[in-house]
Amino acid sequence: MKWKLVARPLLVVITVASTPGAATAADYHHVHITASSPSEAVNWYTEYMDCQPISDRRDVADCDGVEFVFVVQPTMGSTQGTGVNHISFSFPDLPTKMAALESVGVRGSGVRLQRFPDGSTLRDVPGLFKIGFIFDPWGTRIELVEDKADLGFHHVHLSATDPEATLAWYRDTMGGEPASLKGTLNGLRFGDIWLLASEHPGGTPATTGGRAIDHIAFAVTDLNAAAAVMRQQGVVFQEEPKVPENARTAAQRAFVAGPDNVRVAIVESGFAGITIERPANAVTTDTAPYNVPLTPWGEPDLQGVWTGNSSHGIPLERPENLSDVENLTPEEAEARRERGTLGSIWGYEREWRDTTLGYVKTAPSTQVAMIIDPPDGRIPPRTAPGEKLAAMVREEQARTADRPAGGPEDLSSWVRCITRGLPRMMMPGVYNNGLQIAQGPGFVTIQKEMIHETRIIPTTERQRLGSSITTWLGDPQGRWDGDSLIIESTNFNGGAPFQGSSENMRLTERYTRVGETRLEYRFTIDDQTIWTRPWTGVFHFDLDDEQYELVEYACHEGNYGMTNILSGARARDAAEVASP
Amino acid sequence: MRNRLGIALVSAATTLTVLLTPLCPAGAQTTTSEIPRAWDGRPDLNGIWQAIGTAHWNIQDHPASAGHPDMGAIGAVPPGQGVVVGNDIPYQPWALQQRQANFENWLTNDPELKCYMPGVPRATYLPYPFQIVQGDRKIMMVYGFAESNRTIHMDKDAPEPAPIDSWMGRSHGRWDGDALVVDVAGFNGEAWFDRAGNFASNTLRVEERYTPIGPNAIMYEATIEDPNVFTGPWTISMPLYRRLEEHVRIIEFKCVQFTEDLLYGHLRREPTR
Repeated sequence: MKWKLVARPLLVVITVASTPGAATAADYHHVHITASSPSEAVNWYTEYMDCQPISDRRDVADCDGVEFVFVVQPTMGSTQGTGVNHISFSFPDLPTKMAALESVGVRGSGVRLQRFPDGSTLRDVPGLFKIGFIFDPWGTRIELVEDKADLGFHHVHLSATDPEATLAWYRDTMGGEPASLKGTLNGLRFGDIWLLASEHPGGTPATTGGRAIDHIAFAVTDLNAAAAVMRQQGVVFQEEPKVPENARTAAQRAFVAGPDNVRVAIVESGFAGITIERPANAVTTDTAPYNVPLTPWGEPDLQGVWTGNSSHGIPLERPENLSDVENLTPEEAEARRERGTLGSIWGYEREWRDTTLGYVKTAPSTQVAMIIDPPDGRIPPRTAPGEKLAAMVREEQARTADRPAGGPEDLSSWVRCITRGLPRMMMPGVYNNGLQIAQGPGFVTIQKEMIHETRIIPTTERQRLGSSITTWLGDPQGRWDGDSLIIESTNFNGGAPFQGSSENMRLTERYTRVGETRLEYRFTIDDQTIWTRPWTGVFHFDLDDEQYELVEYACHEGNYGMTNILSGARARDAAEVASP
Repeated sequence: MRNRLGIALVSAATTLTVLLTPLCPAGAQTTTSEIPRAWDGRPDLNGIWQAIGTAHWNIQDHPASAGHPDMGAIGAVPPGQGVVVGNDIPYQPWALQQRQANFENWLTNDPELKCYMPGVPRATYLPYPFQIVQGDRKIMMVYGFAESNRTIHMDKDAPEPAPIDSWMGRSHGRWDGDALVVDVAGFNGEAWFDRAGNFASNTLRVEERYTPIGPNAIMYEATIEDPNVFTGPWTISMPLYRRLEEHVRIIEFKCVQFTEDLLYGHLRREPTR
């Protein structure tokens, strides 16, 4: 591996020569970063930070001889406020690099720029070089510098209560070589990579454990010998030297408590991480028939709190390039989920999202698409009037695409906190996917956490509402078909169309408890005004009765977004008038 | 049909004879046999219910008064007898002033105006019906207005703290004879009690009692405590009537869209306010 090829022998000589007090000659080995998908993270660091993938290690990128190890685990947040303020990469032409990153934008696996108070992205630091800050999609703060003498992975910057003492600790325990960066900033050098420290603003830094950068790691030739010296120096071991479970090599690893609550790992040369075992896939393969329990009054019991989290990310339609694929592999399903996560991560931090890999207990569904009928997984062709209507909608959308909203009506019913409509409201989103089903004799209540909508479904025949009474969610009529709950809804007001459906839509839903903890949800859309034939989709909910409780999603009551969107729109209007 | 239904019916019949404990409010001319019973012998509160009266205007005694001038007699506040037992609400002095300020600024500040969730007990006596769906582990109360709803947890040994403060609070239910007693706490303190500005804070606790007084009526009592607003507990009491229309139902009343002018009209491209 590349890091072994770095001119380490030279470093050892320099280190020992310049810091005779240090018994250990260590070098950077890896930076342990929490990411919800290692493969996406490797891609990101390869594409934007010029790191190299390592062919036999899908969780690692090689950045200038230092491994960036990406591990899936629930994070407690970004690097900010911890003892590792940021990591840094150096580029020969920073303005060009920053412009390129800015053009990537924050969609998908994007780049978030941290602007200086004056709005600029770059600053020239006297005596040093140009700098700028960005975040990776998983919350690690990265400083980009233009240090032509040291390109590539440049430094780790600590945030310390006492920077001098912190640097002294790394000098004495890890053998960093004291040096001055451009004669301006005192630090340590490990090989050609710096360790810098600045004063932490206020109090003690938060622990890195569990954050976006969980720890930094140094390599030594003989861990036992190094550990013995460190113990004499009073270093506190959080984990004794040992070969970790599932380690790829026989090299040992230890954890020590660095200053400023920074977790520091020390590994023996040859350490190559651990193999993460994939959690069991949640897809039920058990084909034995499930006997649905009954309520005390004798109806199939669907009660409990369910979530649609595992189904999040399944596209409605079968992608063209997956026409022959029966199921995704678990790896493909994880990658698909991660793409979805990254698609919205910039509006909402990962911690906000219920479906981020590593947070949610259920594995992402491997289902290729929701639509199962027509068998090609695509929405069927439109009728002639349906096509005309769709064309009108497209034209209207094209006409108003860049026009700021004139009022609430220009925004979706979801943004307005009215409803997501049917069947959209049943579908999993990025958060608040709770579904509570409670039953009484002859009635089923279906409460969706998102926008706190509760549907009351009668399971005995009742007179339908008159055709003039239309509503956002229609008029539901339920019945039991064996163990399945069937709900047919009509009388929609057309205000929240689904894929262009009309107020004439007849929606048939089928809820079947296919296992103790699994509820299958099928929906059939029959809208003869719009489509030439009915079409059907399916996805699942999982029971999460022990942990999950629906919280009150007071959407409209807290809809500051509406005020902000419309204020922004008026500001844009005003700017347009000012400079036509 | 399933055998278990048969067993359930038999056991319900057995429990019925055991559990029938006469517990009726004084003056209610009814016998327990008139009360519909659920599968477990408890009173069956399933159905669509509505309060009748003027409590939604003002839970205290109030004379007729003018409403919004454009609305003439339709907008006028009808006179009514209060539902507060003894009529007086033991406000702390500052809170009485606050209530007066709420009253005077009703048409700007009442959360009902903005289609905000009504809270408890106000949801019960808004001038709209609500439905009770009574099962074994939860009792759902679903109100048409503002999509508000409550889950009454019947399967908890003791009231649990609310995970977050909320408009509707967290409700724990238990049976006290034939009365469903619901302990509600965990409010966010934003809701009012009526259009007259009566209010409480986020330390509000409500103990509700739903006591059937016949096949088609429930006596509703709510004892209200809030050490930061009142000097002591007080109680409201009113009957809830079953809606007897053959095909009556709760019709979705998503009121958000009717408040958008009020809330965002000044932010339209062509302002309406």
